[in-house]
Amino acid sequence: MDESTLILDAQHGDLNAFNTLVLAYQDALYNTALRILNDEDQAADATQEAFLSAFRALNSYRGGSFRAWLLRTVTNACYDELRRKKRRPTTPLEPETTDGEEIESPAWMADPHASPEETLDQAELEHAIQHCLENLPTDFRAVVVLADIQGLDYTEVAVAVRKPLGTVKSRLARARLRLRECLQGFGELLPAAFRLEEESSI
Amino acid sequence: MTTLTFRDMENLSAYLDGQLSPVEKTRLEQRVQSDPALASALVELRQTHRLLALAPHRRAPRNFTLTPKMAGIRPPVPRLVPALSWASAVAMLLFIFTIGANLVGQFSFAASSPMMANAPSGLGGGPAAAATLAPAPSGFAPLAPVPATAAPATAAPAAPVNPVPGQNLQPTQSVSAYGAVAPDLATPEPTFAPSTRSTQPFQKTSPRQPSPWLFIWPALALLLGGLAILTLWLNKRAFHRRNSHS
Repeated sequence: MDESTLILDAQHGDLNAFNTLVLAYQDALYNTALRILNDEDQAADATQEAFLSAFRALNSYRGGSFRAWLLRTVTNACYDELRRKKRRPTTPLEPETTDGEEIESPAWMADPHASPEETLDQAELEHAIQHCLENLPTDFRAVVVLADIQGLDYTEVAVAVRKPLGTVKSRLARARLRLRECLQGFGELLPAAFRLEEESSI
Repeated sequence: MTTLTFRDMENLSAYLDGQLSPVEKTRLEQRVQSDPALASALVELRQTHRLLALAPHRRAPRNFTLTPKMAGIRPPVPRLVPALSWASAVAMLLFIFTIGANLVGQFSFAASSPMMANAPSGLGGGPAAAATLAPAPSGFAPLAPVPATAAPATAAPAAPVNPVPGQNLQPTQSVSAYGAVAPDLATPEPTFAPSTRSTQPFQKTSPRQPSPWLFIWPALALLLGGLAILTLWLNKRAFHRRNSHS
C-alpha cells in the first residue's frame, strides 16, 4: 500500500494505517528530536507527542512531503520540550562505569553490526557533533538538523520551522559557520576520516 | 585575497545546497577560482556539511505506534447497540410504570371496597355495628329507598352468623325487623326475590380478577432489561477485542 493511500485512510480515522506510517518514520523523527534535544528520554517523549499531534491534526495535511510535515510536528514538540526543560531543569542520569564515571555513549545503543573501531569512531563523531549542536541557538540547531542531518530542502525546512526562505538560508549559513569552528576545535580528537582538513577547492 | 563577508558565506552555503540561480552560481564559481580565501571557506563548509550528514543514525528505542486509547478512539459499537440502548431506557420506564401501577391498583382496590373493610364489624356485630345500628328502629324514613331485596340478604346471614350473645344480638334483631317491614314501605312487589339473586352483585365483585397487564408489563420489562444487559456485554466484548488487536 502506497503512502498517499495510507495517509488518506488515516485521515478517515484508520489507526492501523497511521501506525504503518509511524513505523516508517519513527527513526527519522526520533533522530531529529535527539539531535535537537540531546536527551534520549526527552527525544522519545517528543517523538511520541509528535505522532499524537500528527494524528490529531492529520486533516490539516494538504499534500506535499509527508516526511517534512511530520518533521515539522516533531520540531514543534522539541520546542515545547525545551520550554518545559527551561522551566524545570533536570539532571539526566547517565550510566556509570565500575569506577563511578559516567558513560557518555551508552554501550547498549551501539550498532551491533559495526566493528569496535567503527563504533568508537562513530561514538566520537557523534559526541563532537552533539556537543557543537548543543552550543547553537535552538532556532539555528533546528534548521541545521533538518537540512544537513535529515536532508530536507530549503522549502521544506521553511515549512517545518515556519520561517521565510531567506531566514532559513541565513540561519543555515550561520549555523554551518559556527559548527565549522566548533568541529575544528576538536581537531585531533576526531577520527582521521572525519577531520576537517584542507583540500582542493571545487 | 579579500576579507569574506557574511553575504559571501551565505552564498557559499546556498551554493552547496544548489540554491543559487545559474547566474549567481557562475559568478560565485569565478570568484572561488580567483580567491583562495573564498575557496578555503567553501572547502571547510563542504566538509562540515558532509560531516553532519555522517552523524550516526540511531534506531528508535521503541515503537511509537498509537493505541486507540492514546488516540482517543472509541471501539466500534455493534449495529444493534443503538436500538438496544433505547430498549434499556424503555425497560426502565416500564419497570417504573409497573411498580407505580401495582401500588395505585392496591390503593384503589382498598379504597373502592368499603364493604370489605366494614364487613367484619357488620357481620360480627361488634360494638361499632351496635353503635351505628342502634337507632334503626326509631328512624325508618332515611332507609326507605333501600331495595327490599337487600333486607332478606342482609338479614338472613345476620342471624346465624352472629355468634355473640347479649347486647350485640339486639341490633341485629332490629335490622331483621326492619327488613321485614321494608316491603310495605317501598316496594310495589310484595314477593321477595330469591336469596341467590340478591347476593349476585356481591359475588361478582368479591373475587377480584387481576389485569393481564400486570403480567405483561413485568414480562416486557424483563425482556428489555435482558436486552440491555446483552448490549453492555456486546460493548465490552467489542472494546476488549479492539484493544487486544492493537
